[in-house]
Amino acid sequence: MRMNPRSTMGVLLALALVCVLSVSAVGAKAPVTLTFWPSSNPQEIEFAKIIVKAWNDSHPDIQVKMEPLPASRSTEEVLLAAIAAGTTPDICANIYPGAISQYIAGKGLYPHDTLPGFYDFVYARTPKDVVDAFTYKDGHVYQIPWKGNPIMLAYNVKLLRANGIDTKSLATYSGFLAAAERMVKDLDGDGRPDQWLYAPTVDVTWWQRLFDFYTLYIGASGGKTLLSAAGKVDFENDAAVQVFTFLQTIFKKGLCPKGAMIGDAFLNGKIAATITGPWSVPYYDQNAPAGFEYDFVPIPVPDGMRGPVITFGDPKNIAIFATSKHPLEAWEFVKFIMSRENDLLWLEITSQPPYRRDLAKDPMFAGYFKENPLMAKFVEQGVYTRGVDDSKYLIEIFDAISKQYDLCCVQGKKTPKIAVRDAAQAVRDILAGW
Amino acid sequence: MLGRLAEQYRTSDKAGYVMVLPYILHFLLFTAYPLVFAFVLVFNRWDIVTPMEFIGIRNIQRLLRDATFWTAVINTLRFLASHIPLQIVLSLLIAVILNGPIKLRSFFRGAFFLPFVISGAVVTILWQQLYSTDAGILNLILNRIGMQPVPWLTDPAWAIYSIAIMATWKNMGFYIVLFLAGLQNVPHELYEAASIDGANRSQQFWKITLPLLQPVMLLVVILSTIGGFSLFIEPFVMTGGGPAESTLSVVLYLYKQAFQFLRMGYAATIGFALAIMIFVVTFIQRKLLDTDQPA
Amino acid sequence: MRTLTKALGYILLTVAALTFIYPFLWMASASLKPENEIGTLALISRNFSLRGYSAVFKQIPIGRALFNSGLVSITSTTSVLVFSSMVGYALARLRFLGRDSIFNLVLLTMMIPGQLLLIPMYILVVRLGWTDSYRALIIPAMISNMGIIVFRQFFKSLPQDLVDAARIDGCSDYRILFQIFWPLSKPVLITVGIITFIGSWNEVLWPLIVIRKWNMMTMPQMVTLFHVGGLANAQVAAEMAAAMMLAFPVIVAYLFFQRYFIESLALSGIKG
Repeated sequence: MRMNPRSTMGVLLALALVCVLSVSAVGAKAPVTLTFWPSSNPQEIEFAKIIVKAWNDSHPDIQVKMEPLPASRSTEEVLLAAIAAGTTPDICANIYPGAISQYIAGKGLYPHDTLPGFYDFVYARTPKDVVDAFTYKDGHVYQIPWKGNPIMLAYNVKLLRANGIDTKSLATYSGFLAAAERMVKDLDGDGRPDQWLYAPTVDVTWWQRLFDFYTLYIGASGGKTLLSAAGKVDFENDAAVQVFTFLQTIFKKGLCPKGAMIGDAFLNGKIAATITGPWSVPYYDQNAPAGFEYDFVPIPVPDGMRGPVITFGDPKNIAIFATSKHPLEAWEFVKFIMSRENDLLWLEITSQPPYRRDLAKDPMFAGYFKENPLMAKFVEQGVYTRGVDDSKYLIEIFDAISKQYDLCCVQGKKTPKIAVRDAAQAVRDILAGW
Repeated sequence: MLGRLAEQYRTSDKAGYVMVLPYILHFLLFTAYPLVFAFVLVFNRWDIVTPMEFIGIRNIQRLLRDATFWTAVINTLRFLASHIPLQIVLSLLIAVILNGPIKLRSFFRGAFFLPFVISGAVVTILWQQLYSTDAGILNLILNRIGMQPVPWLTDPAWAIYSIAIMATWKNMGFYIVLFLAGLQNVPHELYEAASIDGANRSQQFWKITLPLLQPVMLLVVILSTIGGFSLFIEPFVMTGGGPAESTLSVVLYLYKQAFQFLRMGYAATIGFALAIMIFVVTFIQRKLLDTDQPA
Repeated sequence: MRTLTKALGYILLTVAALTFIYPFLWMASASLKPENEIGTLALISRNFSLRGYSAVFKQIPIGRALFNSGLVSITSTTSVLVFSSMVGYALARLRFLGRDSIFNLVLLTMMIPGQLLLIPMYILVVRLGWTDSYRALIIPAMISNMGIIVFRQFFKSLPQDLVDAARIDGCSDYRILFQIFWPLSKPVLITVGIITFIGSWNEVLWPLIVIRKWNMMTMPQMVTLFHVGGLANAQVAAEMAAAMMLAFPVIVAYLFFQRYFIESLALSGIKG
């Protein structure tokens, strides 16, 4: 194949042009670009869009590019895959402390306490004990406390009233179960009930347990998590058995529907209560039928318990990744996300309380709470929450508990005591690191 | 010896080496390397983010004792035991009917074949709605004709068979076509001769048709077996492996171990176990059903 | 008596055909109904509503997924046709060292179940930096063992005189393959093309593993995640709409190419 002289010239000229262009591009000073992953929740994305634009407008030299976290069966899969593949962002605002040990083992996250002015900023915003809760065993702080969603019981005001149920009765297990029996009704005469009080999910995916078993367990045990500080199984106790018994009773006595429902059963008026967090507030406001009224109370606990109800805090934090090429600039953006003004904006858009001290007393937020009295309940509850343990096997642990939940509560094939025992044994096996 | 090789090389068509090069490269990169790597993984423990840790045969030992794994195997066998006979009987029946003097054959063939080309994800999402215990169409129809609703996907005794029914529905068109092709290969003269000898239709079917369908039957059995062992998207979408782990397939378990728990070594072990099982089962099937060829 | 069996046959066929078509009709109708009517048997609702479809478009970039699937499937299929026919040609009509060994290798490889190689292939993709890229979806699918076998089989059956005449004219093997054999191989090309295309289009597990970014997902993957990841929030109409959009291109292509679809898959089954 012989090339003619003219095409050779053409190629050489093109090459030269490319060289010149690339050199000139390198010569110019490029702004620092940070990638930022908020969660895939629609309200959180809305908030992210607003603050990213505000930041970009005022910081031409540090530009932030936002990419919503892709959904998957679990966010953890996605983040870990990114760490493994080296495609991590600079900042992620959906860090779930439960999976954190895996990230740290993967040297994935940045030791934020080494950033300039870290403790000054963080202690000014967040109570010390919250920061301590998120300090890792090696003394570093790999995640910056950002917000928590205290889990409570949402209920349909009109529906409960129509069935003569006082919300106070929902505070204890026996009261709750009695109310559930009252609520089961066949309204359209086809021989099958169409109305229930509460519908625990039959989904065996591990993270579902966070919002039924785990939340109830924290309440029932007066604030225990699954593992002790030394990392040993700490849930083989009466509280766990009581939670399993409670859930099993609901299924066994037919106090809940069997299987998936079409549409949102709470908004459709088919179930009167659901265990959820403040993120539901904007969702309900947007999607509820006209005239729908809802409110929140703390989750039920076993009879005879005293003191404030402790619940799952579903914390989510912000972290800068160790792979970030510009951690100092990223830190500036993170401080911006957590500034007072943006915390207020966050609260307004997503209704998720940030970990800000004196939230209830701060005059800047007073207007918001006046208009949204519902949110004050979450702030009140927010003082009494627990997160998850720091174990890299957390997903497997919850998966093991899910298996027993399925066998004992949903299928009724095991007694709660044996189910708890088997779950504990499975978790010990996992922790022993076979 | 070397001289002979050199001579063969000299007289060979050189273009051949270049033409097979893409295949060689592809094979090395996407088959040979992964195969070796999978084998290495079996003896290690690895979560991608931390360095690999050699643990000898602990993964294998664990697999043998792992009740969940064996549950998955049993689920798969239950699936195969229901799906394969159902598939053969129904597909053969319809193929036989279609083979006769039927008008609109293309239309029927087309109708049956449609679910086969549709993505498994669509079929699964669709059937999940149909199977819904309280709100699904199937139970609605049963209710109308006065029968009790069936807990298709919520009862561990039913769930895997519900998936088998759906899988039969999805793939039937393909097997009908296979059987049709096999039926059309049976020479008419055989039937005519048998008629003259006084054999009725039923005898002709059992004595002539079925034996001559042997190779197609074997193909159907092997293909459905391999398909059954590869069951993933259906339980993944419909049930997540529940209820009570009754629909956990081996591949779904592999996926969970690898991508939820990050136990790559263990997942690789499951992969090899699966390959061995498929090989053994199809080997036995070939021995039993393959009449005219030595193994 | 014969008419009775014939009538029975027709009835059975019709009932069976209905059970095959009805679910799709239900799916189509559910995608066009408002939420609260989905549990009914009625196929056409008086409150015809496109909300399901608009919800899908608002929540997930499904148009992009359609583009991704199209790009990946068309590229893979073209590549498979080119390379598999090339290898098949070499194995069928050329003589060279290792030819038979390579053929046996192809046969042997077909017996390896894909799930075994899933994890190492994922690691490989990660190491090569191909995650979230088209390369991860196309390159592993560029050559098909089944394709090689089918092409080899077919090329062996073509007359040697064609090749001899072409060689006398000074044609290279590539010209023989693409300019002489290909025009003669239309049914085989369509067969292998259709099988590869459908397989690529419907593939979910592999994209689930190597693609995490929304805008790089393939259509079945995105529809699956929409359903499974809880984004759909139990909006059945939206899920059915997404499923409809996924099925629609295949159904349309199927209606047009029905003959080829069926015959091609049957052929491959018998040869396989």
